[in-house]
Amino acid sequence: MKLTPLRTSASYSKQPYEIETKELTINNTSKIDALMGIETSKGYRQVIKWLRQKKRKPFSFQQEAWQYYAEGYSGLVNAPTGFGKTFSLFLAVVIDELNTRAEQKTEKQKTSKQKTHSKKKRSSTGLRLLWITPLRSLAKDLARAMTEVCRELELDWLVSVRNGDTPQAEKLRQKKQMPEVLIITPESIHLLLAQKNTSGQFSQLQCIVTDEWHELIGSKRGVMTELAISRIRGIIHQKHPERLLRIWGISATIGNMEQAMDVLVPYPEVLRIIIKATEEKKIVIKSILPDHIDMLPWAGHLGHKLAHKLLPIIYKSKTTLVFTNTRGQAELWYQNLLNLDENLAGQIAIHHGSIDFELRNWIEDALHSGILKAVISTSSLDLGVDFKPVDTVVQIGSPKGVARFLQRAGRSGHSPHEISTIYFLPTHALELVEAAAIKEAAKTQDIESRDPIVMAFDTLVQYMVTIAVGDGFDEQQLYHEVKETFAYHELLPSEWSWLMQFITTGGDSLSAYHEFKKVSKVDGLWKVESRQMAMRHRLHIGTIVSDPMLKVKYLGGGFIGMVEESFISKMKAGSSFTLAGKVLDFVMVKDLTVLVRRSRAKRAITPSWMGGRISLSANLGTILRKKYNETLDKSHDDEELDIILPLFERQAKVSHVPKDDEFLIELIHTKDGHHLFAYPFEGRQVHEVMAALIAYRISRNTPITFSIAMNDYGFELLSEQQLPIEETEIRQLFSPEHLAEDIVISINATEMARRKFRDIACISGLIFQGFPGKYIANKHLQSSASLFFNVFSDFDRHNLLLRQAYDEAFYQQIEEPRLLAALQRIQQSKIIIVKTDRYTPLCFPIKVDSLRENMSSEELSQRIERMTAETEKKATKKFRNKNDHQL
Amino acid sequence: MTISCSGEELTLNKDRAIYWDRERMLIISDLHLGKSAHFRKHGIQVPATIGLTDLQRLTALLHEYHPEVLLITGDMFHHDLNSDIGMFAEWRRDFEQLRIFLVLGNHDALRDQDYEEMKIEVYKKEMICHPFRFIHDRPEITDTHYTISGHLHPGISVYGKARQQLKLPCFYFGKNMAIMPAFSIFTGLSIVKPEAGDRCFAIGPSKVTQVF
Repeated sequence: MKLTPLRTSASYSKQPYEIETKELTINNTSKIDALMGIETSKGYRQVIKWLRQKKRKPFSFQQEAWQYYAEGYSGLVNAPTGFGKTFSLFLAVVIDELNTRAEQKTEKQKTSKQKTHSKKKRSSTGLRLLWITPLRSLAKDLARAMTEVCRELELDWLVSVRNGDTPQAEKLRQKKQMPEVLIITPESIHLLLAQKNTSGQFSQLQCIVTDEWHELIGSKRGVMTELAISRIRGIIHQKHPERLLRIWGISATIGNMEQAMDVLVPYPEVLRIIIKATEEKKIVIKSILPDHIDMLPWAGHLGHKLAHKLLPIIYKSKTTLVFTNTRGQAELWYQNLLNLDENLAGQIAIHHGSIDFELRNWIEDALHSGILKAVISTSSLDLGVDFKPVDTVVQIGSPKGVARFLQRAGRSGHSPHEISTIYFLPTHALELVEAAAIKEAAKTQDIESRDPIVMAFDTLVQYMVTIAVGDGFDEQQLYHEVKETFAYHELLPSEWSWLMQFITTGGDSLSAYHEFKKVSKVDGLWKVESRQMAMRHRLHIGTIVSDPMLKVKYLGGGFIGMVEESFISKMKAGSSFTLAGKVLDFVMVKDLTVLVRRSRAKRAITPSWMGGRISLSANLGTILRKKYNETLDKSHDDEELDIILPLFERQAKVSHVPKDDEFLIELIHTKDGHHLFAYPFEGRQVHEVMAALIAYRISRNTPITFSIAMNDYGFELLSEQQLPIEETEIRQLFSPEHLAEDIVISINATEMARRKFRDIACISGLIFQGFPGKYIANKHLQSSASLFFNVFSDFDRHNLLLRQAYDEAFYQQIEEPRLLAALQRIQQSKIIIVKTDRYTPLCFPIKVDSLRENMSSEELSQRIERMTAETEKKATKKFRNKNDHQL
Repeated sequence: MTISCSGEELTLNKDRAIYWDRERMLIISDLHLGKSAHFRKHGIQVPATIGLTDLQRLTALLHEYHPEVLLITGDMFHHDLNSDIGMFAEWRRDFEQLRIFLVLGNHDALRDQDYEEMKIEVYKKEMICHPFRFIHDRPEITDTHYTISGHLHPGISVYGKARQQLKLPCFYFGKNMAIMPAFSIFTGLSIVKPEAGDRCFAIGPSKVTQVF
């Protein structure tokens, strides 16, 4: 009998596997024991029989998962993409249900035979499985696959989706009658918890599965997931203490698998296991190389000069996914490919988070059916159900981390044992070294950890109000639930009571907050009584903070997507921009919708959507430094490094190329001022803090102002005056001594904490940002995060949200141990100081970076006078628009 | 810092006020009294001390200049009556001799009798006091009067060498009109771009500096 592996994809691999199911269990004696129980069960046999009919067989990790599930375990399933992770858990729940039904049937037959009139139409048995996925686009395909399984196994379960795209009518239907399986996003569970009378809907729940847990764990959305699980668990436990709720996660490989499980299932009394698939994915990585290094710019993030080399790859592949790092970049590449080959019109599409839901749906369907030759996308297609026709993936620009790169690679050739192919297209010259580094990291499986977020008070404030908007909470019970989660296991009773005061009376007991109204006690439970406040809260549930967004619509109807309000505010009637690959003429903004018409213009500006910049991971940084060595020694077989050699020779001529036991400082004097460039190769995040630290240490004795810039390779301190340091003092500047105190002061001296506060103010409900399509103009309640930052700094120093901003800048941003390790490494290194009056290839990408930080030890009034005097000398100067890229 | 405008001497104070000595008039704009309480009523945690601080700054200015008239060019009260405004009513009793003129702004929505009780003389649209027109938002028409308005909460970006930049609240004096900075510290900034011939005075921690 020929059997193929079991997967969620709509169509299946043609390669058959000739192993009999039972053989799997013979290899390993312990596995025989483990699998003994479930194999004899009715549900298992029914599923296996169904699979045989479909000529498929389970992988051993899937069988393991079914067995452990049956034994009441919770845990984590870790398998490469394309090996049927979904079925390892979904079928476990199904088998359990089939077994329960079989038992009930025999019991019924035993006890009473007269009750045979149970032929009424489908009645809901209540929610059994809650399936959390981070991306909306995953839900639809998952639901399709699950529904198919239920139908074929004659299991009368309803599978529904609930997220931001779900129509209101469907949500109401769900409220009346919960489906057995609900596929949901973390935000939507919180919205569910913010409704009245939801607690009754979980009483039949058997299992919560968190899909793509590796994506959630490092973000506040992960914290939302932890909190939601703790609440649902608490609700069930309160009503039915005897019931067992299983909590499972599905994760790609990350550096901290054990911790990932601890975060998801922190409960000591629960049985836990990590199930790891032994199957491996084969990945081929190729770089798209310039013919000569001069073809690539020294800085930039577009890489258009290599676009013509992308075309042959698209031609020869069935379907290509082209990943870019930003939405703006995706728009530009789409235009660029069309300009290069007009015949591609209609065969390529663009997919990102700001494109209208309907349009995205269409693109995803088109990807399934294989009618598209290429799709340009951002992380919006990183995850999810596989698109069968995709056989090639292209990454434009550095992916900054090994895990992300491998994840994207896995989107091609996803049938088990098929090979995934990914091309790396560098956007500037130095990225060639990153390409070589990534290849090595992929080979050695040097995959990053994703550190969980802890003590996010903003998310907790939001969550507490969410529960108060819903059925309300008992203070003690909620505290115990929250305290059990990984994110808040260090929460102190004093912090909890501060949080309670914050949402009930406004502030701590010292500063009276007159007339504050939000959460109050009703019949022993803490609730939000004002309907208006409840509504506003529901609109702002979530932890992804973006600029206010406006919907874009054709004059004649039809939504295209969304753009940031700040971008549109710069547009005049008649000027054009691109969105979803279309050139559009701006007409006007009406009812918070941007009205446009199709443009005849071929070129237009591309909106820039704000988004976080990803930092190079520590793993990659280390390999990168090694690659610098190898390039010069020629002790490598990376073609990328051969190409970059001329640029390195140039750098060596004007300055120096740092080896991994050297630390390079360039002191450059130009008409812009006095620059100090340093190259630790530790990634943007570490550099941001290190730069502030060094700037602070230099400015301690002399009043001086710095403008600070950084990238993944190094950082720049720029001042209008000569830096007051001797060359001999430079090693001392990078000393790890008094690190903790100096960091605190340098963070205070910059805007880092203030910037962190922007998200915190939004998440905790202090300020209201636009919500796509649901923007409410509360003009009289408008304020800014920066204002609140000032207000709390001046009037409420003990505010925990303020402390969180500093903590986030301090712990998350810097990864203190990493900074310490970097400084210690620098102390061991040979320090090379180069003085020159020209920019070098290495410093150039930092110099052109427009995101800058300021640090000053000058007295503000004096600084104003000095700067004013400087401006007068310069006369009128044109400021460039740094975020608009002209095509 | 004292400047000359339409032939009059105006003193720009770093506490976001103008003192017009000839009329013995202290001019401020966008006081937004009650804004913090309004936020609190709607479930947003703003410390009450803010409204108090604004009043304390105002008190200090009154002690510095001893004006006969306090003129507010709009947005004196943020939305409606609340505890912050109660605090103001009490404060008012300490300065009974002071005449208070208010040109209504978009946020001033109290009833006429509320203003009367607090002894505030209300100008619905504008107040002309030669050579100036005091108004909340910039008028559509220009005439011989030089307009002094508020509403915008103006700020200015100061650029220096070596890519340095600062954003500060400012007094803006254009050809036909001036814009006052918002008096309340619980307000944001909207950056103005001065053109040739305009004057801009940035407000620093210890003094006012002409930056344009």
